[in-house]
Amino acid sequence: MLKVSNLTKRYFKTIALDRVSFEVAEGAITGIIGPNGAGKSTLLEIITGFQNPDEGEIYFNDRPLPAFKEKKEIFSYMPEDLAIYPDYYVGEFISFINDVTRYVNPELIELLNLNPVKNKKIRYLSKGYHQRLKLFFALSNTKKFIVLDEPFDGFDPVQLMEILEFIRSENQKGRTFILSIHQLYDAEKICNHYVLLDEGRVVTTGSIDTLQRRFGEDNSSLEQIFIRALQ
Amino acid sequence: MKPFFLLTKKEVKDTFFSRTALFFLLLVSFLVGYGFLTAVKLYSEQSLAAVNNLLYARGFEPVPGLFGPVYGGLFVLFSLFLPFVIIPLISREKEHNTLALLTQLPFSFKEIFIAKIIAAFLFLLFVLVLTFPCVLLWRIYGGHLPINELSLLISGYLLYGMFVVAVSFFSAVLFNNTAAASIFSIFLITSSWIIDFGRDMNISPLLSLISAWSVTRLLKYFENGILSLSALADFILISSLFFLLAYIILRFDLKSKWRPISLTLILFIFGLLMVSHLSLNFDLTESQRNSFGPKITRALKKVRGLEIDVYLQGEDSRFKDYQNSFLKKLDLVRNDVRVRMMKGSELKKNYGLFVYRVQGKTEKTYSNSEEEIFPIIFQLAGIKVDYGNEEIEYPGYPLVVKGKLSGIKYIYYLLIPLVLIAVSVSKNYKFKFKRSGAK
Repeated sequence: MLKVSNLTKRYFKTIALDRVSFEVAEGAITGIIGPNGAGKSTLLEIITGFQNPDEGEIYFNDRPLPAFKEKKEIFSYMPEDLAIYPDYYVGEFISFINDVTRYVNPELIELLNLNPVKNKKIRYLSKGYHQRLKLFFALSNTKKFIVLDEPFDGFDPVQLMEILEFIRSENQKGRTFILSIHQLYDAEKICNHYVLLDEGRVVTTGSIDTLQRRFGEDNSSLEQIFIRALQ
Repeated sequence: MKPFFLLTKKEVKDTFFSRTALFFLLLVSFLVGYGFLTAVKLYSEQSLAAVNNLLYARGFEPVPGLFGPVYGGLFVLFSLFLPFVIIPLISREKEHNTLALLTQLPFSFKEIFIAKIIAAFLFLLFVLVLTFPCVLLWRIYGGHLPINELSLLISGYLLYGMFVVAVSFFSAVLFNNTAAASIFSIFLITSSWIIDFGRDMNISPLLSLISAWSVTRLLKYFENGILSLSALADFILISSLFFLLAYIILRFDLKSKWRPISLTLILFIFGLLMVSHLSLNFDLTESQRNSFGPKITRALKKVRGLEIDVYLQGEDSRFKDYQNSFLKKLDLVRNDVRVRMMKGSELKKNYGLFVYRVQGKTEKTYSNSEEEIFPIIFQLAGIKVDYGNEEIEYPGYPLVVKGKLSGIKYIYYLLIPLVLIAVSVSKNYKFKFKRSGAK
């Protein structure tokens, strides 16, 4: 169980996160949703240790995780603005990651369909393939929590189907996902738990059923719930 | 292979095979080649008159006369262009957020930073290796090689290069943009030129004080063939300061950076104070051009509490002569001599005067020549010195090189640039070929 407790982050007078608290069960696919500027990326960076909170704590199985060194053993994080070495060949990058992590999973490369672009320089990849390569990096390890910031940007509908399927299969293998997604339609297809953020605060959390009970009717879409919750 | 080795290999590859590195190395090749060619021609022309004149020949020393100007070209390249090669090692990671990638791999911040320093150090070594054909060619021409002095000169440029690397790292962590970091690093590097200028012009006492740690002044020791332990330690301290500050600022996981930064600054100041007490200097030149004769040196070591008041402006040519022919040599024997540059109405009233003081006794002179100064100092100190003939043993090494200079052009204008371009291009496509072949 991952517990986020009272996280607060300020940038001078701007409050990016205001006493944010929620829990993530192991094995869940949690979607952090919210409008632009809600604090989604800041939250993920603090959870994974890339930023320090002004206040608050992260707990894993009731044990606080204060240091980046400890967090990096548990979380694998894919930042939204990561631009993998543009002058490397895809195959070269894959070899580097495999050699360093000593985690070789040919199935992963197969599932992400990276073989056809192995001889391409990363700078010449389409956005979809670049996202696949970022996913390859985020998943080339045995870490328990996979934290992805806007992982579905740049995919066409067919690619998106493949990637969603891929995340589901990794989730079934026991990995927990925390995804920051601004496209609610995409979030609805993959997440089984949601944290709705607005202006740095948690508006609500829960499964789609819980949210429907709280903010709508039985068949309300996530988008309808989102709008009502923000109102 | 160990992960750290793989990381270092990656950093070395990123440093050596970038486009800026290729342009820099090409520039080094052309400039070193041109510098060496010109220096050999001049040395040869001047040697014509010295070959049969033993007295004139004594002035021919290969390091100041030939290698000094060749390596002097590297000074400009290191100061103005090396930051463009080094800064991307960090700024590119920041711009692409790949630091987030590296830190999640099994590397600590320390390992990531050290791997980058190793890559930059190897690059500097490679640049210096590019100058070795000059040394080899000079030997082939029959030239004399003063190994100690030459090694010292090369070490000085290696230290200066590491200083530039440290400043580049520091600038790269401060700015999120490569261009801004480059401009800032060049400003920091060239500020020591401004400090030196300020000291020479006697602009302010503060500048004169700071100039003791100006890296260009520290490099001068190495260029002049003086192995100065304090200059060596200062170089290491200043570079370490910038490296440490860069390391602390780069670490995004530190909750407070002020404490380690303050501690680093305190340690740095403490280190500088400790180093200022180091007074071990060695004249590594074969001609001993930086030293007084052995008898004078022995006698000077016995003089206690020497003070000198100089009634000259810092930029006065008489003072420059005095500084070069007397004060610098004196500094090698003892660095506890107090030299005061007089100012104001006193200066105007007594302009041109030198006042020597030893244990309360005073003597004045308007002369700045050794023949006048030593008798005064030793008389004040009550030391008897036999000035007898201190014969200079150094024979000098004039050399006339005729018609063999095309080798320099072939090596530096053709061979090295072609090899550099070929390796860069082949490395760029190697992975592709290897993978295609395997399929």
